[in-house]
Formats: sequence, structure tokens, C-alpha cells
Amino acid sequence: MNCFCSSEHLGFSCYMMLVVPMNRSQGAGKRKRTDASPGTQSSLGPNEHAILDIVKGKGDMGIWIKDMRDKVNLPPTVFNKSIDSLKKNKMVKEVKNIKNKGRVHLVAAEFEPSKELTGGDWYADGNLDTEFITILKEVCFKQIDVMRVATIDQVANEIRKSNYFNIECSTQKIKEILNTLVLDNKVMTVTSNGIGEFAAIPAGTLCYKSRPKGSKQREAALTLIPCGVCPHTTICTPDGIISPKTCVYYTK
Amino acid sequence: MATRYGIQLAVHLISSHFGDLVAKVCECLLRKGTLTLRDIIRFTELSAQQVKNCLLVLIQHNCVQAFSTVEDGGLSESRIITQYMVIFNNIIHRMRFSKFIMIVSQEFDKECEELLEGLLQHGRLTLAQLLDRANTDKPEGKIPVVHLGGDRSRIHVRVLKSGFHRASCGLLCLSGNSFLMIGLSLTIKFVQFVECCPAQDALRESFNRLVNAHYVERCPASEPLLELKTDEAPSRRGAKSAKIARVVETTEQRALKAAAPMEAKRFLVVTNTGSDIHGKNTVDMPSNEITGEKQMKDEYMQLDGALGGAVCEKEVVWRANFEEFVLRLKQKVCVASIRAQYDDGAGVVLSAMLEATRGTERKIRGETSGPLSLNAIFEEVMKTEEGRTMTLEHVRSSLNQIGCKLDTAGPDQSYSIDLKNIIDTAQRDEVELIVLKRYGKEAFRMFRLLSRTRCLAETNKISDTALVDKKEAAKILYKLWQDDNVHMVRPTATSTSDKDLCLWTVNKDTLWKHVLDQMYHGALNLSLRTLYELEQEREILQLPREKRIGELGKRYERLRRVRILMESSLMKLDDSIMLFNDF
Ligand code: SF4
Repeated sequence: MNCFCSSEHLGFSCYMMLVVPMNRSQGAGKRKRTDASPGTQSSLGPNEHAILDIVKGKGDMGIWIKDMRDKVNLPPTVFNKSIDSLKKNKMVKEVKNIKNKGRVHLVAAEFEPSKELTGGDWYADGNLDTEFITILKEVCFKQIDVMRVATIDQVANEIRKSNYFNIECSTQKIKEILNTLVLDNKVMTVTSNGIGEFAAIPAGTLCYKSRPKGSKQREAALTLIPCGVCPHTTICTPDGIISPKTCVYYTK
Repeated sequence: MATRYGIQLAVHLISSHFGDLVAKVCECLLRKGTLTLRDIIRFTELSAQQVKNCLLVLIQHNCVQAFSTVEDGGLSESRIITQYMVIFNNIIHRMRFSKFIMIVSQEFDKECEELLEGLLQHGRLTLAQLLDRANTDKPEGKIPVVHLGGDRSRIHVRVLKSGFHRASCGLLCLSGNSFLMIGLSLTIKFVQFVECCPAQDALRESFNRLVNAHYVERCPASEPLLELKTDEAPSRRGAKSAKIARVVETTEQRALKAAAPMEAKRFLVVTNTGSDIHGKNTVDMPSNEITGEKQMKDEYMQLDGALGGAVCEKEVVWRANFEEFVLRLKQKVCVASIRAQYDDGAGVVLSAMLEATRGTERKIRGETSGPLSLNAIFEEVMKTEEGRTMTLEHVRSSLNQIGCKLDTAGPDQSYSIDLKNIIDTAQRDEVELIVLKRYGKEAFRMFRLLSRTRCLAETNKISDTALVDKKEAAKILYKLWQDDNVHMVRPTATSTSDKDLCLWTVNKDTLWKHVLDQMYHGALNLSLRTLYELEQEREILQLPREKRIGELGKRYERLRRVRILMESSLMKLDDSIMLFNDF
């Protein structure tokens, strides 16, 4: 598939090529423990040591700063100074709790924060990375559209080959994206029968196929009329104050 | 399914077709269920005569079925009681008569269309009444039979068969005793005026075609007597499984079953052509009926031989067979759905399969189609214009694509398709599209996930799979739950950390019913609004054409557009109602 490697073919702007990888590399950097180069423990004071021990003991879930303050029972200024020092020495990192964005957890630098805390691969800074997801979805969709029918591995390989993103797009991630495309009703899953358009794919393999051209998303008959999307349906009666006779939506 | 708004819509239809009194009786039956005459009088507070008249109208239009039951009189003798049950679906069918007429007009000629129109308009008629109705506006007396020269034998036959009135619309015009040719240069050899009415023969033929296609059927018995239900003790062997397998039948279902004519008799026409030309009785029966029914036919022939075709013509009452029309519409929906889901080729193949198995499908209520060999399907595909370019390989791949089951057991590979699956998918798509429009893309994604997995899923799991922000996901799910689109379960025995844990699922049965009720509500409102618009501009509608100018002309034009828009929306909405209620 030579054509796929061409960004023009896929219809992507230069903006996307430049901006997305930069954004994503920032997001991805936070989760890589190799990026951090922790300072030596010998330079730490006894307070920092005590705090660090507790943080390490909490593993990849870390500890909420307020809980830590209660636990060590230090004066606020001393506590804040110790935390700053640990952060400066890259021995702990702050991670926002996805379930409660106001809560910041301290996680030891050598631990990859738990998915429960960060929200998973698709979250950056406690927020769903919608921009990245949208673009990755678009890339996958165009890929399937170009190939007409493709397996997960085929899509993942093509995306990796194209170097659109400077972070790793694992097959698992691509699979998750393809599943959302199925949920969006943009592509459908089919099982290869090894003949015709599936000739290159072993029979029985799960494939993704773009919806037939021209099969525009239609609208449900109910939502084509005002009553289908009306907020007053429950109180609208033939002889009531709100009724089809007095309805303002039908005049529009 | 008679839901809350379904009943309101049914009452509205009856009220606008037959007036408020009939609607009152109908509403009483719809709300209270099957009743005796005395109960209806009591509940409606109408006079006995009024109720009787209303019931007659409803029975005539197939909206009510009467049946008798034997009431145990205790020490005294048992009594026979007549009860009246309303047939909700037949009332709602009144909204879609235009669709039924359209089916017939696409398959047959104008005469068939007019005959069906007559039946729909009057509910039940004998063939003699139908013929009378058709002939009321036709020229009386002698009918001219035109003998044409040249090799236009086809036209010659058509003119002969259809009678003068038919010919006059397309080919010939009568002016006194001479004919005027229109468009075609045909030589008239001679014109013969005959006493008989060849138009009646053509009408009988059209009628036979309608019955053979099962679009018209004999009316059910007017008041079948229901046997007293005896509670037979289940046989000892396999008693438990027999108990489970036995489907409990309601009295209404038993009454409908008892009233329905035998399958062999249901579409049996004994026409009388004697009074016209040939002077003999003929029994017409669909050619595709099974051989076992031939015997029935013979028996019936003997019976009818005694009575004579003329009696049959005057006494057998006919009505439109809604079941067959619903089946046709269902097949159309299946083909359209497959076309939208896959491609035109898949639609052509399915349509060909349905056409080829047309006779057999009725027997299995259109749940599946086939089995049919690949060659038979291919042959049928070739008959269609769109299918002519398709190769055998293309047909085979389309059959695989649409999920046809391949049966390799027989000597020939045969395919069959599950129509129920197609309908299920179409229903699910419809609900999903409603969710999309009302709640947006993210809700659509989550809803699709739930409706496809059909098991309980936790909020976090849903947000992770649908890639929706966790907080946002919880909010959307809550909104969907408030509007009864999803079902929420809170596990009781959970640890304190899981106190916010919610599990979600889509309860198909309740949701589908809820959506259907919303559709009935929409159809009712649309219908009421259309009536209101027409009522508001009544004087404009009554204006003669030449006065509809300037401002009045504009108002008329607006009203015309509004009416077309609303009526077409109502028909589309009715398609969806049928998808959920009838298919
Ligand atoms: S207020 Fe209007 S749009 Fe809303 S339900 Fe009533 S008739 Fe329909």
C-alpha cells in the first residue's frame, strides 16, 4: 500500500503532522519512568526520607497529599518544603486523580502511576486526550477506507510505518480505536471468507470494513418530526395547555 | 401492542373515520378489554341501539370480532354469552390503507386497485356488491366490443376483456356510435354491441388475481362459539416438559383462531361467469396451494356446486387480508435495510430470494426465507433489471455477506435467510438513531455498546471502551436512564469504596415498547396538527380554483405544502411503527 504512506492521500494537513506528535510526546513523557533521573537519597533530610518511604509504600497508587500531611504531622511550611525538595530531586511526582481532579497524589518516581489513578493510556493530565483520539480515529478510518477491508494488524502496521505519531501506537491501542469506530457506525466488522475482497486475508479472521459509499447516516423517522425531540412530550396532550394545536415547534 | 398512546391514536382514527359515538364504544373496548353488550352499554352510558349500531360499524370494518362462550349456569342450564373484542392492529392499519393500495397498484392493474379500494372503504363486501360498486359509474346498457384490424391482437384482447370504459381511457374515445382513434393508427373492423357486460368478467378476473395473491380473503366467522376449556391432566411421560412447552393462549387469541376460515377455504373463489358469457361455475384456487388442499377444494366444489356460483358470489363476504400486506411491507423493509447495510447487489439478491419463495413464506409467517438452491436464486436475480449484470460469484458472495445460512445436507447447496435477524437489526438501528439525535455522538457510542453487549457493564468500563471522559460518561448514562433508555442496577453487597458503583444495561423489551409508544404519540400529534391546519384554512380549501390567486393563492399553496410534508412524515413514522409492532 504505497499510497497510504502519503499524507496527501489521507487528506491530512501539515498542522496535524506537526502538532499532534508534539502534544502526544508531552503527554507520553509523564508516564515514562526512564525520563526521570532521580537524585540521590543521601542529599535528603529526615523529613523527606519519612515522606518518601510512605510514598514508596503506596506503590503505583501513590498517596493523596492531604492524607500524607495527616500521616507525617509536620508543620505546613516544613511539609511543603519537603515535598518541593522531593519533586525537585525527581524522587516523587504529582498525579491528578482521574476520579477526583482536585486530589493530587504523590507517586514515587520509579512507579508508573496506576491506570485507576490516571484513567489509562488515553488520558493526559487527568483529562481524556480527545484531540489525539480524534486524530488517531481519523487516521484509522482513512486507512480502512483506502484498503476497503483490513485486519487490526494491517491497520496498526501501516500506521506504525507511516510515523505519524512519535509515540508508540500499540496494536491494542489501534484495536480500541477501531472498536470506537464500530460504535460510531463508521466501520463494520466482518469475518473473512477468504474469497473476493478477502482473498489476501485468511478465512475466519476478523476484519474491519468501511460502510458502503453513499450509505449516508439517515435519521430516525421519529426524530424527523418536532415531537421526536420535543422537551414537552410528557405534558403535551390533545386538549391540554401544551397541545398539537398550540404547539410552537410545528410553526418553525 | 396497545400502549397508552397507541390506544389514543386508535380512538382518534376511529373518531375521524366514523364519528365520536363509534369512537366511544371503541375506546371502551380498548381500555376495558373484551366485553358483553350489556357491559358496553353500562360503561359507555349510550342507548342499547346506539351501541349495537356502533358495534355493527366496527365489525363491518374488521375492528371488532364477536364470539360466544358458554357460561356455566351452576344449577340452572348453561347460557351462551356473546362478547366483543377489539382488534387494535386492524384499527391502526386504517392509517396505512394508501400503502396497501400502492402495493396492489404496483403489482396489478387499475381494476385490482379499485376493487381493493372498495374493500378498504367498505370493510367487508360480497363479490356481487363489489361488482355493483365498480359498475355504478360505468355506461349502462350494451357494451361495445371493438374488433380491430391488423396484427394488434393484444390490444384487441385487452379491449374485449376490459370493456369499453377501460379502452376509453387510453386508446379509443366514443362519440355517438363512432370511435375516434387516439395516437394509434388502428383499423376498426367492426364494432359489435353485446348485451352482456364484459367489464364484469374482467373485474372477476382481477378479483381472482387479488385472492390468488392472498391480498383478499374470506371474512372470518361472525360469531364463533368457543369451547369450554377443559383442564386435561398432562400425560405422565414428559409431563414437565409438556407443561413448559404449552403456550398459554388468551381467550381473544382462541376466538380469532376459531373465527378464521380454514386455510383451504380462505382463498377459495367460486365465481359465477354464467350470467355473463359462458354460463358455468368455476372454482379458482391459488396454483401454489399444497396438494392436500386439493381434496378440500373438491369437497368445496361439490358444496358450491349445489349452491351455485351465483349464490357464492352473493353470500360469501370478502375483506382485505392485512396479514399479506404486512408481509409484503416487511419484505420491502428487509430489502431496504440490507441495501443500506451492505450494497445494492445484496438487496437485489435478497429481493430475488423473497420473490422466489413467495408462496411458501406465508406458511411460516415470514420468519425465514428459503431454502433455495444457488441456481434458483441466480435465475431469479437474472430476471431483475439490476441483477442482470451480476455473476454467479457475485450472487454467492452477496449471500454470504447478508448472512444466509448454507445447507449442504441435500444434493444441492441451498441457502436460507433469517428475516427476523434483519428486522432485529433494523429495530436496533432505529432506536440508536433516536439516541444519536437526542443525546449526541458520545451517548450514541455508549448506547450502541450496551445494546450490542446486552450484559451489565460498569460506568468505567463503558467510558473506557467508548472512549468517553469518565465524568461525562456518568452524566450521559444518568440522563439516558432518566429518560428510560437504559436500565441501572446498583449492586447491594459492595464494599464502601464501591458505593458509587453502577451497572448499566439496555432492556430491549421495555425500551422497544417505550419507543413504540413514543411513535404512537408522535403519529397522534402529527395527525391532530394536520387536522388543525386544515380546519384553520377551511375556507381556502373550499375556494374554487379560479379564485385562488394573490394572497389566497399563496395561503393555499402553503397549506398544500404543509399537508404533503405532514402526511409524508406520518407515513414514514408509520413505517417505523410497523417495524416495531407488526414485523
Ligand atoms: S409540544 Fe409540539 S412538538 Fe412537543 S410533543 Fe406537543 S405537539 Fe409535539
